[in-house]
Amino acid sequence: MNADEWLRTFAAELHQRRVAVDAARHVVAEAATHLREGGGDPWLVFGPPQSYAAAIVESIGTTPGPRPGPVRLHARGINKRYGRRTVLRDAALTVRAGQIAAVVGANGCGKSTFLRICAGLVSPDAGEVTVSGRLGYCPQQGGTADFLLPDEHFVLVGAGQGVARGPARRAGRTAARHLGWDAEGDLLARHLSGGTRQKLNLTMSTLAEPDVLLLDEPYQGFDQGSYVNLWDQLVRLRDEGKAIVVVTHLLNQLDRVDVVLDLTPAQQGGRS
Amino acid sequence: MDSDRRGQWLRGVLDLCVLALLREGESYGYQIAQSLDAAGVGPIQGGTLYPVLLRLQRTGLVTAQWREGGSGPARKYYQLTEDGWTALHQGGNAWLAFVAPVTGIVTKGVEG
Repeated sequence: MNADEWLRTFAAELHQRRVAVDAARHVVAEAATHLREGGGDPWLVFGPPQSYAAAIVESIGTTPGPRPGPVRLHARGINKRYGRRTVLRDAALTVRAGQIAAVVGANGCGKSTFLRICAGLVSPDAGEVTVSGRLGYCPQQGGTADFLLPDEHFVLVGAGQGVARGPARRAGRTAARHLGWDAEGDLLARHLSGGTRQKLNLTMSTLAEPDVLLLDEPYQGFDQGSYVNLWDQLVRLRDEGKAIVVVTHLLNQLDRVDVVLDLTPAQQGGRS
Repeated sequence: MDSDRRGQWLRGVLDLCVLALLREGESYGYQIAQSLDAAGVGPIQGGTLYPVLLRLQRTGLVTAQWREGGSGPARKYYQLTEDGWTALHQGGNAWLAFVAPVTGIVTKGVEG
């Protein structure tokens, strides 16, 4: 395990112990600085990542998760067929304010369809979805305008909410920075890399301050650092009381979710 | 056994050492570790030092600030607060009052 791997494991351990996002970021950065200046094997300097994380928790404590609030999204009895193929059978999900739900399962098991039904973009054959509050949806791809600058996207979203150009631009850049992206450039959206375009997409979906945020595999094309930033940002939004649904095909130890809906056909239905 | 005992002593007094070093001006973790080593306390590993610094920060005895070093990377600089001065003063005097008789007794034992 090299220093980077040690730091990554350490960060994951802190998250798992629910150390506040910003506090964890500082502690990891400080350990990284120390290793850079002094060299040395992190296992000797700091010990095993697990025990160092435990020592940190003892020093600074953890943030108890906010109590989940009212139900924001309630989907029940969702059925969907395409031709003869049943994609969703009696799928159900309840997400409260202050919760992150992950929709998981193999490719083609209907994750995106389920999300699009929740977003109201596709009608189910049976079942119903209730959403309370404002809805934000971030599709897997598309959603950006090829011939606009990132700033112009922010202005556009702002215009929809009656926000002036200046403040809209600033809000967009700030939200982008949470994803580790400096959105001030003068590149048209079509010239951004896939990962960056996805960050633009994500930034826009959070700008409208939705109460319910639906994200369809929002990390396509992300490197490891961006992936970590994304989850930090999702946890931050959750702690602000948003209800978040993330479609994902991978759940690793960094992912901090409250509810899991597994759509793999063998075990259809929800579990928490 | 020996390093075990040294570890126990350190646990009781490392926070005071850190506060005392910070009296001379703000510093960052790696530099504090080097100062402790240079003073003869021996090598202090990051895993021992940073939890102490974080505890001092949490209890308001030091404040911390991330800043770019002259040419080096951004570092977290620690600074003694008013409360830190008071804690250093009281804790330091208590420590001195404790070690003086201990040194006396042990010295007699070792030399006698």
